[in-house]
Amino acid sequence: MNNFSLVFAIPSYIVIATVIFFGMFFPLSILSEFIFVEPFFIIHVTTDLAFSFGLILAISFMSAIVIPMNIYRIRILRKKTSRIGTSLIGAIIGASAGACSCGPIGFFIISTFGAGASLATAFLTNYEIPLRLISLGLLCVVYFTTTKSISTECRIR
Amino acid sequence: MNRLIPVIISGIAIALIVGVGFTSYYAQIIEIQELRDKAIDMKKAERNILNLENASPILGSAEAQITIVEFGDYQCELCYSWFHNTRGTIIDNYVDTGKVNIVFVDLAFLGSDSPIAAQATHCANEQGKYWEYHSILYYKQEGIDNGWASKSMLKEYANELKLDSDQFASCIDSAKYAKNVQNSYNAAVKMKVSSTPTFYLFDHENGMVEKISGAQPLSVFVKTIDSML
Repeated sequence: MNNFSLVFAIPSYIVIATVIFFGMFFPLSILSEFIFVEPFFIIHVTTDLAFSFGLILAISFMSAIVIPMNIYRIRILRKKTSRIGTSLIGAIIGASAGACSCGPIGFFIISTFGAGASLATAFLTNYEIPLRLISLGLLCVVYFTTTKSISTECRIR
Repeated sequence: MNRLIPVIISGIAIALIVGVGFTSYYAQIIEIQELRDKAIDMKKAERNILNLENASPILGSAEAQITIVEFGDYQCELCYSWFHNTRGTIIDNYVDTGKVNIVFVDLAFLGSDSPIAAQATHCANEQGKYWEYHSILYYKQEGIDNGWASKSMLKEYANELKLDSDQFASCIDSAKYAKNVQNSYNAAVKMKVSSTPTFYLFDHENGMVEKISGAQPLSVFVKTIDSML
């Protein structure tokens, strides 16, 4: 049995993964204005923004795999929490890259914190795609190091 | 314990991002419900809600039954997306047929070039080319504060539209319309508009007001407009 199956053979980890996936995908898609619920529920992805939407989907999916695997690793192997921190940082980079533009979060941040915040949101918006790719890369690295760690530690034990 | 700190900080940051987003979203829903209540008497609603003193000229017939008021920023990529994917069909099917007119209100907040770009459209308006200049900005948009909307580039666009370059340069250099753009921003904030693009659809015959937040697809606009006509 490989490490992926080892973790997700336990139903509670499937539940955690599902919650993380939907808990990230829906808020991120709403904040990035791919999903609208008012006046009607509608998913709207234009061709020019399709890649950005695909990256949100990929980040949510990877977070839903990586975070439960790390929780498993911590609980079973009593290891440190640093990889969850890295996964969350990856997810935050991906989330803030898209959410801080002309939507309500961007407006709130800029109108509250002024010019400095404006520079930060400009950076996050102008480099949205590269930042999301970095975020995805970070999650992939954490996935492989976690898989390796579970595999090694389980063999030793 | 020290290793837990980044996890806790990261968790709080995610919760903050999601929390602020949803708080703003629900505030908007409450706001639209209040607006619907207020809009029973359209004249009253127009007086109280619709302050278009510093807005664009009207695009379309002044006698149209519905006015779409768009709050936008020239550096906003979602405004760009709406301009290129939805606006054209609305103009063909509703504005050109005299059913709807469009007004643009500057909510220039995204960067230091946003208010200058907004002022430039008002300078172009002095020479009767507001909407042509508005369109050229949405064709030229390339991001936020990365040079495409600098003063020198704005003057270039004026040349492309064959505007009187001296008059335009003098207008933009003197920041003649800075106050108007700021007033538009203040009016938008007063109306609780907190993102771009945001649209208010005012039905002058039935006194209905609908708010559409975001670059929503054409089908949402068609359904909303058709329900008013």
